[in-house]
Amino acid sequence: MTKLITAFALFVITLLSAQGQVATNETKASKFEQGMGKAFALWGEGKNAEASDVFERIAAVETTNWLPNYYVALVNTTAAFGTKDKEKINILLSKAQNALDVEMIKDQNNAELYVMQAMINTAWIVFDPMTNGQKLSGPTMELYANAEAIAPNNPRVIFSKAEFEIGGAKFWGQDTKPMCAQIDKAIELFATFKPESPFAPKWGLDRALIAQKNCK
Amino acid sequence: MKSISTLIILFFTTFLFSQTTLSGKVVDQKGKAVSGANVFIEGSYDGATTNETGDFSFETDAKGNQTLVVSFLIYETSKTQIDVANFHGKTITLKESFNALDAVVITAGTMESGEKARVTVLNSLDIVTTAGSAGNIIAALQTLPGTQSVGEDGRLFVRGGEANETQTFVDGIRVAQPYGATTNNLPTRGRFSPFLFSGIAFSTGGYSAEYGEALSSVLLLNTEDNPDQNKTDISLMTVGFGLGNTQKWEKSSLSVNASYINLAPYQAAIPQNVDWNSPFQSLSGETVYRYNFNSGILKLYAAFDSSKFDINQENINSAEKMRVNLKNDNFYFNTSYKGNFGANWQITTGMSYGYSKNKIGLNLDNVVNDENAAHLKLKLRKNVSNYFKLSFGGDYFSTKFDESFTENLGTAKTNGYNSNIAAAYTEADILFSKKFAAKIGLRASNNDLLDETTISPRLSMAYKVAKNSQFSLAYGDFTQSPNADYIKYAKYHQFESEKASHYILNFQYAKDKQTFRAEAYYKEYSNLVKYDTQEIAYNSIFNNQGSAYAKGLDLFWRDGKSIKNLEYWISYSYIDTERDYKNYPTTATPSFVADHSLSIVTKYFITDWRSQVGFTNSFSSGRPYNNPNETQFMNGKTKAYNSLSFNWAYLISQQKILYFSVSNVLGTQNVFGYDYANSPDSSGFYNRKEITPTADRFFFVGFFWTISKDKKDNQLKNL
Repeated sequence: MTKLITAFALFVITLLSAQGQVATNETKASKFEQGMGKAFALWGEGKNAEASDVFERIAAVETTNWLPNYYVALVNTTAAFGTKDKEKINILLSKAQNALDVEMIKDQNNAELYVMQAMINTAWIVFDPMTNGQKLSGPTMELYANAEAIAPNNPRVIFSKAEFEIGGAKFWGQDTKPMCAQIDKAIELFATFKPESPFAPKWGLDRALIAQKNCK
Repeated sequence: MKSISTLIILFFTTFLFSQTTLSGKVVDQKGKAVSGANVFIEGSYDGATTNETGDFSFETDAKGNQTLVVSFLIYETSKTQIDVANFHGKTITLKESFNALDAVVITAGTMESGEKARVTVLNSLDIVTTAGSAGNIIAALQTLPGTQSVGEDGRLFVRGGEANETQTFVDGIRVAQPYGATTNNLPTRGRFSPFLFSGIAFSTGGYSAEYGEALSSVLLLNTEDNPDQNKTDISLMTVGFGLGNTQKWEKSSLSVNASYINLAPYQAAIPQNVDWNSPFQSLSGETVYRYNFNSGILKLYAAFDSSKFDINQENINSAEKMRVNLKNDNFYFNTSYKGNFGANWQITTGMSYGYSKNKIGLNLDNVVNDENAAHLKLKLRKNVSNYFKLSFGGDYFSTKFDESFTENLGTAKTNGYNSNIAAAYTEADILFSKKFAAKIGLRASNNDLLDETTISPRLSMAYKVAKNSQFSLAYGDFTQSPNADYIKYAKYHQFESEKASHYILNFQYAKDKQTFRAEAYYKEYSNLVKYDTQEIAYNSIFNNQGSAYAKGLDLFWRDGKSIKNLEYWISYSYIDTERDYKNYPTTATPSFVADHSLSIVTKYFITDWRSQVGFTNSFSSGRPYNNPNETQFMNGKTKAYNSLSFNWAYLISQQKILYFSVSNVLGTQNVFGYDYANSPDSSGFYNRKEITPTADRFFFVGFFWTISKDKKDNQLKNL
């Protein structure tokens, strides 16, 4: 019975939020949703380049919405993490950087964008710690500090920052307890986090849970 | 009824939104398929990504004439007007983007570092972590090919050229006095700490028309645009201490650092070959202020440096030691603005002022000299297109030098000069294709002291033969006013500028973290100053009839890939040079030249120890010296030089570093040359004295601590 109510409640919420968007701009909203939906589907199938292209096309039309470019950056950065080829990584991260730069100029008060920039930096560091670690560690921490100042209760900010710090602490043989506590806090925040819109970023919980396991 | 209306609506919808299929293929200029290109109708979401064969196909509900956009990072975005109804199986050709990462760059003569450099030969971290460099930019550069390591001097000697043939520029503006003051056979070091510089370009010849008054080489140092964060740096060393602070605001930032160096503890601990009355001491500081405008950046850089020492030097010409007591004050100020305006115009402008005052006591005699030097610069650059860039600009160098020499209780004799040089230049950068580039320039310069105008053409080009390999060629004429030692005695425009021509052929291979460079050069000098006395003096008779040549081969190999955690480079230089200048009776190889030089630099990071351990071995074959007991001029040759240096940086914690270094670990007894007596002894024999390092080894222990909010940054890059 509770399940049913929950399912129903969820349905209503989805419906309401969908309607809310439809009401503002009926055809456009549906077209946007369709496009975004298609991109997410491609991304889900592992077609990163195609997904990134669809997001790019949407971004070219929806110049007042930061989400399409955000996802161009996210798709390419996530893809870059598994890559060893320098040329490939250069292309992926340049794509991500270009897309993110477009949104950063428009809005310097969006914590999600700072987290995204920090992730691009992290991808560079992971690729070549000797060269990039020294250069990018400081700026990356500064990005997280900025993000935290803007959105102290955003679970992605708390989690990503903690995860980045754990990397350094392990190398230095320092205690990772404070970061682990932050990860626990992030998981709590994920539970109550409400994305601003249906496509606003909401990722991170699954990775946080894995990180939490590694803490123990 | 209801179902009928639904049907009608559906029908209309389909009609209204009836879709057209577009298809085609995307290729590059060679006709090769481009996969992964984004093809779409501008202003719509409709599009596709090209597959492995470059083909695409998608449906759109757009109608009529539309713009089809094809974009891919490394190509120029193409926009084509199309009729949606009629676009099937067409081919679109993408042009390679000239801003792309792999377009050819001219590399003849120049070794670059820093974030903007395509192929980094040496990065700023290297300067300070190269064993034996002790944070001295110049010492680190001496591990690169084309340079001569002249241990008793310490300055940069490039390809058979004298040290003063290299000019140093900070943010494009000349530094008139780049080295600390010193005396005979006591090495100096660069004035600048690597702390504030993010990019370095070192050209060993064939450089751009933008730079003049340098016969051999230019060293371009660029200050950091934006520091990372607010921080305080503290350093405690066996030779002194330093303090630095950086503050960052929204649009501007300020960095200040100061240090006090006193070599007394070191001189007490290590046996010295020189007799010190008072140790080397220096108090120095630097500051950089940066302000970011919307389309430009303004930088103010100032440095001061006050140093002194007092020694007794053995002198072959007298039984008594010669006392040298030197005090130097130096101030350097530089301001520069770099920005964009209008349609693709770029402006770089600035000025510098340098002041140096030396008070030198030589036994009971006194020499006081001061130099005031200024440089004004304006450079404009227009990006006409991706294929063609034009720059032009002007320089104004003004130097005033005064010297007075007071013999014990005697009267003062004064010398000096006032020189103004105005120069203008223009240069075109042409990209014929992504594989072939050229730079053509011309520089004209007028020197009022010499009453002379010179014109110097410069030309360089590069051709890419394979993805990671390219050839570059450079030719250029260079002129430089004779140095202060001569022109302080100038009368009636008696001197002319000294001249050199460079011919350079360069090959470079760069892939991932491996770089190989080979460079062959030929250099021809004319108009070198000659004089007829033993020492340069007011009564010397000067002429400009000297000449010289230098030819050689420089090899460089850097590898950070083959062995995990190991970074190393090997430099080898071969040179064949002879000069007829100064008071040389005949053409000869000068005493600062070693035919063969080899440097091997290694850096190994031991993760478990949180340590970076480095070795540098410098070897050079023997250097010529003149033995007056022999009839042939410059016939002697010293034994070969070798020095192995070691350093160890231990990271105590993220922000605390313990640093240890020792130079010439093996204690090799090196001899740089010989000083011969001016006159023979009673048996007709000229006695001599070895010129050796002031001490066989140099030890250094330092503790470096950075305090910043993020607790991540450290001073590894400053060591």
